[in-house]
Formats: sequence, C-alpha cells, structure tokens
Amino acid sequence: MKGFALGQYYPADSVIHRLDPRMKVIAAILYIVASFLCKNFFAFVLLVVSALFLTLVSKIPLKILLRSIRALIFIMIFTAVINIFWFTEPDAEPLLAWKFIKIYRGGLFNALFILVRILAMVIGTSIFLTYTTSPIALTDAIEHLLRPLAKIKVPVHEFAMMMTIALRFIPTIVEETDKIMSAQKARGADFTTGSLMSRAKALIPVIIPLFASAFRRAGELATAMECRCYHGGEGRTKLRILRYHVRDFVALFVIFLFVGGIIAINIFGAKYGWVYTM
Amino acid sequence: MPLIDIKNLSYAYREEEGEPISVLKGIDLSINEGEYVVILGHNGSGKSTLAKLMNMVVDDYEFAQGQILVDGIDVLSEEITDDDVLNLRKTVGMVFQNPDNQLVATIVEEDVAFGPENLGIPHPELRERVDRALETVGMSRYAHHEPHRLSGGQKQRVAIAGIIAMMPRVMIFDESTAMLDPIGRREVIETLEMLNREKGITVISITHYMDEAARADRVIVLDDGKILLDGTPAEVFAHKEKLRAAGLELPQCTALCYELMAKGLKLEGPFNTPEQCAEALTRAYRRREG
Amino acid sequence: MSKKKKLMAETELASAEIIHPAEDPKLRLLNVSYIYSKGTPFEMKALDSVSLDIHRGKLTGIIGHTGSGKSTMVQLFNGLTTPTSGKVLLDGEDIWAKPKEIGKIRFRVGLVMQYPEYQLFEETVSADIAFGPKNMGLSGEEIIERVNEAASFVGLPQNLMDQSPFDLSGGQKRRVAIAGIMAMRPEVLVLDEPAAGLDPQGRRAIFSGIKRYNRETGCTVIIVSHSMEDMAEFCDDVVVMAHSKVLMAGSRDEIFSHAEKLEEVGLDIPQITRLALMLEKEGITFPESLYTVGYATEAFAALFDLGEGGGV
Repeated sequence: MKGFALGQYYPADSVIHRLDPRMKVIAAILYIVASFLCKNFFAFVLLVVSALFLTLVSKIPLKILLRSIRALIFIMIFTAVINIFWFTEPDAEPLLAWKFIKIYRGGLFNALFILVRILAMVIGTSIFLTYTTSPIALTDAIEHLLRPLAKIKVPVHEFAMMMTIALRFIPTIVEETDKIMSAQKARGADFTTGSLMSRAKALIPVIIPLFASAFRRAGELATAMECRCYHGGEGRTKLRILRYHVRDFVALFVIFLFVGGIIAINIFGAKYGWVYTM
Repeated sequence: MPLIDIKNLSYAYREEEGEPISVLKGIDLSINEGEYVVILGHNGSGKSTLAKLMNMVVDDYEFAQGQILVDGIDVLSEEITDDDVLNLRKTVGMVFQNPDNQLVATIVEEDVAFGPENLGIPHPELRERVDRALETVGMSRYAHHEPHRLSGGQKQRVAIAGIIAMMPRVMIFDESTAMLDPIGRREVIETLEMLNREKGITVISITHYMDEAARADRVIVLDDGKILLDGTPAEVFAHKEKLRAAGLELPQCTALCYELMAKGLKLEGPFNTPEQCAEALTRAYRRREG
Repeated sequence: MSKKKKLMAETELASAEIIHPAEDPKLRLLNVSYIYSKGTPFEMKALDSVSLDIHRGKLTGIIGHTGSGKSTMVQLFNGLTTPTSGKVLLDGEDIWAKPKEIGKIRFRVGLVMQYPEYQLFEETVSADIAFGPKNMGLSGEEIIERVNEAASFVGLPQNLMDQSPFDLSGGQKRRVAIAGIMAMRPEVLVLDEPAAGLDPQGRRAIFSGIKRYNRETGCTVIIVSHSMEDMAEFCDDVVVMAHSKVLMAGSRDEIFSHAEKLEEVGLDIPQITRLALMLEKEGITFPESLYTVGYATEAFAALFDLGEGGGV
C-alpha cells in the first residue's frame, strides 16, 4: 500500500497535459459526442485516426493506456457479440445461418463500429481527463464550469470542497484500513477463509474502527478548518488561478474541426449511400 | 494591556445525560504579546479545553463562565458577531495534535493557502504569503508535494505554515509534538521558537514534555482545571512534589540536581536544561577541587 | 538438544554473523531482508540482511528513527509480513515452514501495533479483550480468566470492564488494546510504541505494567520506542536500528556506554547520559555509564562524598 496513488494521473510533459483543465473537460465531452455522431465507415476511420493521434500527442505509453481498456474488455466483447447476433437485414443474404442464428455482414460491421466507438470514448476520456489531468485540477475545472449553477442555489463550492477533502483523505484511510486489518490479524482475525457470510462477518472488526476513526478525523478536521477561518465559499479567493491560453483555443478549434469533419463525412455518406464501404 | 486576558474562567460540558462535567475551575491568566508560554498538565487537566476556548472552537458554551478577552474581543459575550469570530481566529492561530487531520488540500502549497483564501486575500498577496510561509518553516522544496507522503514533522510544519500565512499574532500549539518522533518533535520545536524569537509571534504551547517547558519564558501548570503553578521554568521546576502530584515529571537532569541538593550538595541554578546542569555540577566540582 | 543442533545448522547454512547471539534464542532473524513495493517506483529496502537474536525471557528494546526498519522488523516477528529473503526462527523453527499455519504463529507472537486503541470495536471492554482468545477457540471459562488476568496486568479497574471502549480516555483505551494481546498469552509480546502520545503518568503506568508482565510470566517482551529514557529505565537488552540494519545490540549497559555512537546517528540519548558526556569533556568521569536518574544520583553522591544523612 506504500505506493498507493489515487487516480491514474500520468505525469508527463505534453501539449495535452498543459491544456487548461476546463478545456479538457469540454474537449472530452465533445469527443464523446463526436464518437456517437459517426454514421459510416469513413467517419469511423477518422475516429480511429484521431484516437491514435491523441495517444501519440499525449505521450502516454501504450502499455498504460491499454490498462484502462483492459478493464472494459468484457463489456466491449459482450456488446459486440450481442450486436452480431441481434442484427437482422431483411433483404440481405446472411453470411452464416445455423438454426435460428443468422449472421449478416451488417451485423459484423455494426459490432466493429461499436467496438471502435467504445474504444475511442475510453481513449478520449482517459487521455483528456484521467491520464493528463490531476484529480485536483479536475475538481477545480468542474467547480469553474458549474459555477453558473451556483446562482440557482446548486452547492457547487461545497461539492468541490467535498471532492478535495475526499481526495486528500482517501490515501490516509486506505493506509489506515491496512493498519487495522493487520492489527486484527495479529489478534487472530481471518479474512481469507470461510464462507462468504463468515468472511463478511470477519470484516466487522475492521469496519467499526474504520468508521470510528473516520468520524474522529472528520471532527478534528472540521475544527481545524474553522480555526483557519473557513466559512463557506463566500468571499473566498483561490491560489490556483485558471487562465485560458492561446493553445487552449487552438485545441478547441482542432476539436471543432474534427467534429465538423465527422458531420461532413456523415452528410456525404448519406448523399452517396456510404455505410460500410464506399 | 495584555493580548490575552482571562478572568475567572470556568467551563463544563454535559454528556448526553447526567451532571455537567467540570473541566476548568476559575482560571485567571493574562498573556502579553511576544511571550513564549508553555502550558503543562496531564491528560484531562483541562489544558486543551483552555486553548480551544481562546479560539472559540469548543462545541458547547452552555457552561462557560467568566471572561476571555483576546485583543479586545470578548469571546464569551452574547453579542459576538461573525466578523468578531473571524478576527479572533485571524489573531489566534491553532496547530493541533494529529498532523493528518488538519491538512485539507492534496497539494502542500494549496493547503497553506487555505486560510488566506478563506480570508479573501487577493492575488498577488496570496501567492506571496504562501511562498513566505513555506519558506519560514523550511518547506518551500515541498510546495508541490502531496501531504500524505510527508513525514509527521513535515506535515506539522506545513500545518504551521498554513497558520502563519494568516499572519496571526498568537499561535497555540495544542500538543502538536505528541504524535511525532524525536526528529519531528525537534523540527516543530525549533520552528515554534523561531516564530517567537524572530517573528515576534506570541507562542502558547500545550504539552506534557518537560524538556519543552524548560525552554519557554514562562510555564503554567494546570491540574484539575486550576492553575497550580505559574512562573519561569526554574521557579516552576523548584516545586518537584507539586509537579509529581499533578502527574508530571521533572526533566532528568533537573531532577538529579534537586536530588543532589537534597543530599546536601550546594549547587547554583538554574537547572532547566542539561547544559545548565552540567555547568552547575562542573562549578561545584571545581570548587571542591579548590 | 536436537532443536539447538538444527538451529546451529541453519545458522551455518546461512553463514550469517548473528548480532548479540544467544545460545537458545527465542527469536532469531537470519539474513532477513525486506523490500517494500518491489518493482515499483516506490521500491524501498526496509531491512537489509539482518541477523539478530532476541534473548529468551528478556525485555528487549528496539530503538531507531522512523524509517530505520524497526516497525518492519516487528511485523516480521509475527508473520504479518513475509521476509523478501532470509528466515525468521521462533524457538529454532522457521515460522514460514507451513505458510498456511501462520495464524498459529500470530498467537504465539502477540503484536501490539502503534496507536492500538484505534482497533477497538466491541461493545464492551471485556468483549474486546476477549476477541483474540475467542479466535484461538478457547473455552468460555478460560477466556474469562485470561481477560481478567490481562486487565490486571495493565491496571484496568473492574468497573470499566462492562463499559464501551469508545467511552474511555485515551490512556485507558491503550491499556484495553494491550490487554487484548496479553490475553492471548503469547510466548513473545511485541509492542510498537506502546506509550506514544501519553502523558508521563500514563507512560509510566504502561511501561511498568509491561515490565511486571515480563517478570511474572517470564514471557519474552520486545518494545519498540523512540523514548531512550524509557528504554534505559525498563529494558534488559537494547537493539539499535539505523539505515535498515542493526547498528548495535546488547545489554543496556553495553549500549549506553556507546552513547556517542547513538548521538552520531542522531538518536536522542537520555538527558542524564548527555549530561555525563558533557561532564566528561570537563574531565569529570564516572566508572560506569549513566542512564537513569537513580544510578546517576548514586554516582554523583559518590563523586561528591555525600552521605546518606543528607535526607532525600
């Protein structure tokens, strides 16, 4: 647990790392929208190219990127398989027919499209958000972007404060869990054998002290925050100032160009009847 | 006029049921600007409650009686305003025992900025205060580190920087060395003494380590909610039996000197630190040798 | 005897030079290394081929800075962590000989971790102390007997036994946690900073309770602490850790006669010892090393020819 690091932030010096976190949140949203817009083969080609481009520019090693994909591999295969079997094309000849199972060319393509779409979304969001933006910068960005909502009494500042404190204390609590588990093991607690029920029961000596300690920490932290004049978000200044740079607008322009490109391909595709190929 | 003036202060709290439990019983205490005061007492002597009252961070004021004036602010007054409370906390900064439970942010410099941010300090002053505070405690190198990777002493120094950045006139250390190893303790003590000597900040340090008390200008011993002793370390250490009754122990060398004097050896004090004791014993030895 | 032979064979095999060797040690570390987070950027060597004996029935103090490897060492003693290499021998037997039965080792080597009061969870003090014995599968009567015995060692009054541990003071909670391990009647009792954060009274109470436990049960006790003054007063043997290795180990007399060496690695020596070193520079020497007020008073009284008539 010594090397515990929260999130998947991968420190590197790339253009994407240097972008304003607010811009990255917007970019991630636009990227997801774009991947849903893709309607034909060529739009998907552009999507794949863009994902490769992002990977290259972000300087995130492929090995690390693949890790976040691995976590979703089951879902991806599952949706793809479902699509292959569910797809029916009334006019077309199935590629394969066996009893009630019919596989069409369109089904294969659809499955492929969905795979590409999920892959692109995962790569896009993890590159824009998790890998290149520290959790704290992300919290900051979300607070800024949601700030207009504070006018209609949405507790944006409080939400951001909660996020910050959670981020601050997760490593501490993880370490503490480790310690309490060791302490109970030293008293003969067994967390690894027995039925599911007895294993769940074995966790009681861990969970109760953990809660007691979390409450104690919360109380002490609240006192310390009060002592440091915390009185809500009103009249607060911030050390970290978010400033848009030229590169942020360039990035936004590129993203818009990309979304525009996908829309254009879709329009052309509709006109010439492209779906799976030209 | 003293910076902190406490008159006939009593305090009790009530558990869910039953009689209120008395913690402080008639405290009279004034502390002047620039003093370095150590408050001693065993666990449960009321020393932490006293500190918390000075900063208005106890939970319940139902059984608080008497008067606490901090820089003219009447803490226990009914008419105290929110602005008064903010001013009070700006004047009196507090560092607590557990370094983990007082750091708010995930980056050192952002944590130091937390107090001034709350006070609405604008840029560029905010930046300057944070940088200066980190420099003062010698933690500039760690400005961009995550607090949970620091040592206990380092965390505590970050906590101190967070208070300094609010530019208080008084700093209360509520057993801030109790959870630290000897190196961490030394770091914190050196920092708090430097703040007192070089920055002129009034320091009130609550502890049960006698060797920390030996270095202060003034030592106050609390026992059972009352002030038992109040004076220079030498004056206080002379009351060995009273200290023992209050659950405290003299520093080893001081105890040795008093023990030897009781056996008839003539020694000239003070005997607060090992250095002073060594000097006194050397002098006595030389005198004997003629 | 065969056990001893086997032990010697093991030691020879490891060709390790044991520090502070004993003929029949309770615990022996043989070339033990431990590496944290191996293969990650956070990799750190916490122990570097340590070979050390812990003497049977003694109260051994382990001192060293945070990060010197002492906390890792205590977790190796009871098998909470597995050594990266090397062996931990309890009564001459490798504790990891049967990894599945490591739980039994944990009953034989009881470990009280740092700030153990945070592990309390039961509804009553006695139930919490009984948690360990219950996990050992003991009978109800035996458990009650052990709980009471442990409570008396740490000085917990009977009227607290039915209270919730969460309602006690910090010092009392600490005692409950220590009693919880003592009640398992381990052959070796290991305590990591048992008095951290307590006031002088609480500290003294805990240390004297532990000492009494050691003397009355004959059980081997190991205490890890920063407080040299407490170590000097209560321990028989002292092990000094520095930079993931054992710097020295021996009887406390031996160790405190090397006070300069302790200061060199930045450890706090007892005030009295520091005083003696300062006086030595002035040419005032003592026949023995000084580390407790009691010894020092006698030594100075002899130096200054103070009679007993002077009163106390």
